[in-house]
Amino acid sequence: MKAKKDRRRKFTWHLIIGIAVVLVVITFTPLILSPGRIHPKFLSMPFTLWTGIIITLLLVVLTYAGSRMRDND
Amino acid sequence: MLTWLLITGSIYVTILFLLALRSRRMIRNQGDFLMAGSNIGLVLGFMTFAATLFSTFTLLGMPDFARTHGVGAWIFLAFSDAGMVFLIVWFGYRLRKRVSEKGFNGMSALLQDCYRSRWAGTIYFTGAFIFLIPYVAIQIRGVAIFLVEAFSTTIPFWAWCLLIVVVMLAYSEMGGLKAIIYADFMQGTLLMVVVWIIALTCLKNLGGWNEMFGRLEAEHPALLSTPGPKGLLNSQFLIASFLAILMIPVTQPQLSTRLVIMKNTRAMYRMAVAVGTFAMLVIFPTILIGLYGAIRYPDASVSEFLGRVLLHDHAGVVGSAAIIGLFAAAMSTSDSQLFALGNEFRGLLSRDPSGSLVSTRIAIVVFALGALIFSLFSSDELVLLARISFAGTAMMGPLVILGILSRSPQGAFMIIATGIGLSAFILSQTGIFPDNVGPLRMDLFLMISLTICAIGSYIRRR
Repeated sequence: MKAKKDRRRKFTWHLIIGIAVVLVVITFTPLILSPGRIHPKFLSMPFTLWTGIIITLLLVVLTYAGSRMRDND
Repeated sequence: MLTWLLITGSIYVTILFLLALRSRRMIRNQGDFLMAGSNIGLVLGFMTFAATLFSTFTLLGMPDFARTHGVGAWIFLAFSDAGMVFLIVWFGYRLRKRVSEKGFNGMSALLQDCYRSRWAGTIYFTGAFIFLIPYVAIQIRGVAIFLVEAFSTTIPFWAWCLLIVVVMLAYSEMGGLKAIIYADFMQGTLLMVVVWIIALTCLKNLGGWNEMFGRLEAEHPALLSTPGPKGLLNSQFLIASFLAILMIPVTQPQLSTRLVIMKNTRAMYRMAVAVGTFAMLVIFPTILIGLYGAIRYPDASVSEFLGRVLLHDHAGVVGSAAIIGLFAAAMSTSDSQLFALGNEFRGLLSRDPSGSLVSTRIAIVVFALGALIFSLFSSDELVLLARISFAGTAMMGPLVILGILSRSPQGAFMIIATGIGLSAFILSQTGIFPDNVGPLRMDLFLMISLTICAIGSYIRRR
């Protein structure tokens, strides 16, 4: 039972790392860093700013999720 | 303004020294002085980490950086900081595990132990010294320039620099790391409050949020996307900056120490989340201040812009709080860096953790004097100089991570590779080596090369 739980925790931790890496890679592609792209706007903010804020927020949420996974380390 | 400054300044310095005295009374041994008893809880831990991380360049540098290069400044710093706190969850655990086996007398001593080579610690200390002393210096210089510009008094530039260094040395020598941590708590809070008050006042002056972005789109559209009007914030620059900032808690002793002294791993994890949140909350208003400056003062010099936006566009009490906030930001980072360098020096010289503190205290004073002298002559470009400091120390990241991760000594290969990497980076900064290797920036090329070397060394030895 404990071994199964540990395997699941390990898998979730690796999944969190995977999502974080994907987010980081996406950020440095033209998907986010698109020269001259201002639209679509959100709350009047230009595209790069609001998407940057959302991705940053997601990384912090992933940090929290990852820290919860590793609480018993 | 001067009256308000005298009132808030007196309150600030009094609290600082009361905290230092309180810490002094709690010191019973070297561990208390150097490592704050290694029992720091979540709230103090997060505030000391955040205050140490966010220096003068946050309050002085980032608004000007955003004014010049636009909204990409968010990706440059806030996003990179979020990556950094994620890394803490993995690296912090590994570091603490290693420390529980070998003890902690500074990162230099730990690396000496991991590599079983004195050179590992020497290379680490040399890199930290070369890139942290100028970083401390530019913070002292940044605040001093601002004060001279703001007051135009008879107090000369060097006297402001000296005042900052003396106050900083006095309370850190008096109360040790605990005093610095208490001061960080106050300084972090002050930084957050001041930066938001200024940003909200700026928004109000422009007629609100929508008005500001509307005017920017009409007058300075290049600021609203990357790479910004000057083309600096391209993917390569941002990737290299991301990697450099990612490595800060790995390679900068003042932050590695803060991971070690947390009372348990769980508190360290939560601290990482809190620092990520704090980073977003502190950086966002600095970008708003910068965008306000782009509309109001597009052609002003850096000091003119900062003088207006931080002092003259607000009520006297806000301006005086901004000055104290700047003092606080400069000191909270500088004292931690100097203290950590002193501790590293001690660890490098002696393996006996119970040895005398005299060498540490003298080293801190000598490093502070070095930073003071450097501050009188360094350049004024805070953010770019800070970035060079981050990139320089990041060269040691693979060396540190390899040492922490591997169970057996890794030999001399990685130590030599890091020495070459550091030398190549310094030579590229002085113009002797080129800025690029093929299509890659030199810093990015070196970071990738050293990472490959570390992975190769790890696989081969395993």
